[in-house]
Amino acid sequence: MKLQRIAHALDAKLICGPVDWKKINIETIFASDLMSDVLMSDRDELLLITSLSTEQSIRSASIVGSEAVVVANNKTVTEGMIELAQDQGIALFCTRHPKYETCIELGRLMEP
Amino acid sequence: MGEEHKQPLQSSLRVQELVYGLRISEVMTRKVFTVTRNCSMRDVQTIMKDNSITGVPVVDNQRVVGIVTMNDLMNALEQGAMEECVTQWMVGEVQTLAEEMPLSFGISAFGKFSFRQFPIVNKKNELTGILTFRNINHALIRELSRQLREMEQKSEQPQDQNALKLSKVYPLNRYDFENAGKASCEIKKYLKERGVPPKTVRRVAVASYELEINLVAHSNGGMLGFDINDERVKISSHDRGPGIEDTEKAMMRGYSTANEWIRSQGFGAGMGLPNVKRVSDEFAIESALGMGTMVQAIILLNPRAEHDDE
Repeated sequence: MKLQRIAHALDAKLICGPVDWKKINIETIFASDLMSDVLMSDRDELLLITSLSTEQSIRSASIVGSEAVVVANNKTVTEGMIELAQDQGIALFCTRHPKYETCIELGRLMEP
Repeated sequence: MGEEHKQPLQSSLRVQELVYGLRISEVMTRKVFTVTRNCSMRDVQTIMKDNSITGVPVVDNQRVVGIVTMNDLMNALEQGAMEECVTQWMVGEVQTLAEEMPLSFGISAFGKFSFRQFPIVNKKNELTGILTFRNINHALIRELSRQLREMEQKSEQPQDQNALKLSKVYPLNRYDFENAGKASCEIKKYLKERGVPPKTVRRVAVASYELEINLVAHSNGGMLGFDINDERVKISSHDRGPGIEDTEKAMMRGYSTANEWIRSQGFGAGMGLPNVKRVSDEFAIESALGMGTMVQAIILLNPRAEHDDE
């Protein structure tokens, strides 16, 4: 699934991202506010959904090879997070949906 | 605090890396002069004088039961009690150190206690050596000279840009969450640029990141060292305390001593150390209350050593 479709479905705002972010293909999604859990995963979690709006969410995402992060609940995204996302080439979004609703939306999108 | 002055060795990261890398057993004097319970203070005096030493452990069946120091000897001399049994004059409560401990623990012990020597024991609690400041000085000078020689040789020959060869140390402070992760990101980039497979890079990054978080969340500060060559990545984490009481418990999934604040940062689920072990090919942890903790994780880069992710 293309990242553009996901962003559209979530009505998510792009905060920063690589030029060709729309074409990024997302196959796996992980939703958590517990970075310890994110780090335990051994799939390639290409998209991270979290309501933990700290630099550590971007770092954890980058460590497990995520290409995009969606911050749920319209939480404030800090300058530090943006800088880090740019440095690591991660597309960073913000959505008004709470984390649970965000997951439901994506679940619907994934249905054949 | 006066503590810092007692440990001038803490100032250099290279020296720190070195003292954590060496084991007490590699540094201690193995030939120990001892006496038994029924020896006299006169015997101790002769031993000290003949061998120019300042402390003699009292041993019973290879176990240390006391130590007679120069101080005790002078007291006995003053009282004219040189023919008395050592048990009358020795210090009975002896602080021993384990031979497999990193040298750094030995150095902290010198800072913490006012003893001039520590008897060293093996796992069976048998005396195997003695550690003095002189041992530490010798070992440090020897090791530093070796490293300097290596550096001199290295600077003579130009390095291949793509070769996997890196030795780097990152200092980390308590609660400095802002900087936790910088080392991991840098190392990740370094490995990626040199064509290490993404899965391996990820394992290195996860281990190193978890250790960085541990250092800022749980320790009084410390450092994370990387030693990389074309065969493996060796990550070592060392801190200045407070030490873990029960390392087995700390390795249990879900066991955590994290406070609310650490949890609010998204950590403290008690998965850190088990996760480091999960992604490593070799893993070792050592800790002593009041002295510190050291963790070593090795990740092999050789594709033949395929990692089993369970």
